[in-house]
Amino acid sequence: MMVFGALLVLTVVTVAVSYLQLPMTPTVVLAVFIASIKAALVAMFFMHLKGERPLVFWSLGLTAVLCAALFAFLLWSEGDHLTGTEFKDAFDEEVR
Amino acid sequence: MTHQAHAGVDVIPYTTQVRPDTGLTNPKLGIWLFLASEVMLFGSLFSAYALLRMGAPSWPDQSATVSVPLAALNTVILISSSVTMVMAWASLKRLSLSKYRLYMGLTLLGGLLFLVVKVFEYTDKFSHHLYPSTNNFLALYFTLTGLHAIHVIAGMVVNAYLWMPGTKMWATEPERFTNRVEIAGIYWHFVDLVWIFLFPVLYLL
Repeated sequence: MMVFGALLVLTVVTVAVSYLQLPMTPTVVLAVFIASIKAALVAMFFMHLKGERPLVFWSLGLTAVLCAALFAFLLWSEGDHLTGTEFKDAFDEEVR
Repeated sequence: MTHQAHAGVDVIPYTTQVRPDTGLTNPKLGIWLFLASEVMLFGSLFSAYALLRMGAPSWPDQSATVSVPLAALNTVILISSSVTMVMAWASLKRLSLSKYRLYMGLTLLGGLLFLVVKVFEYTDKFSHHLYPSTNNFLALYFTLTGLHAIHVIAGMVVNAYLWMPGTKMWATEPERFTNRVEIAGIYWHFVDLVWIFLFPVLYLL
């Protein structure tokens, strides 16, 4: 029941924070952070992860790592627009 | 160890006893591995959102395009249905089938309400000529929430079976039935979890 209350409070917080109109990066970080707390509450208590075998934790941990790697590699390869880098092909004929 | 539920028919082993090598029942490990694969499915769509939004010269104002109050309502509905799902399982643990029926019924109601709100949201978009083909944000919005809604429907089908016809097992193998409800609950919480991430990303960012 306390978990339910906490989740409701966090939902209200999520909506409230969106009205702050922060710049993009802090907004994303904050939104993901709050969502992660809610997700952790659901996972630990509703899904009974708290007190579950290590094997389950490790499987989920591996999933989280791979998911993060997915995001990271995509950002790295396609994020040129953000960092201002350009992809130069090895066979570029420009250097003449 | 297998159970002979019907004459000559073997069923999945280790549904009530844990396996000696994993320390878990088969269904418990199975559902967590399945959820791990679902994380990759939704994770890939979330990263598609991140990439498309970052690479876009402009992006529509999300909270102006889609309804924040409706989605907040849906968040509360889904979280509540997760609570009633836990209560349903707890009722079985306390050997009360009637309480279980009540809470599972409430869980199903929550799922139904969620879908009704979703239908309302979608038809509202369509009536304003906003379709998945309109722009990248709407394409992602409809894909992500649509895929999530399909998962909600699938969960409701399982829950509906466990609510009515499935309760036959309570008379013969109550522990196995309780475990079934627990596993269905873990799936249902996952559906709730995905929505917890979808709500801020699609509606508030």
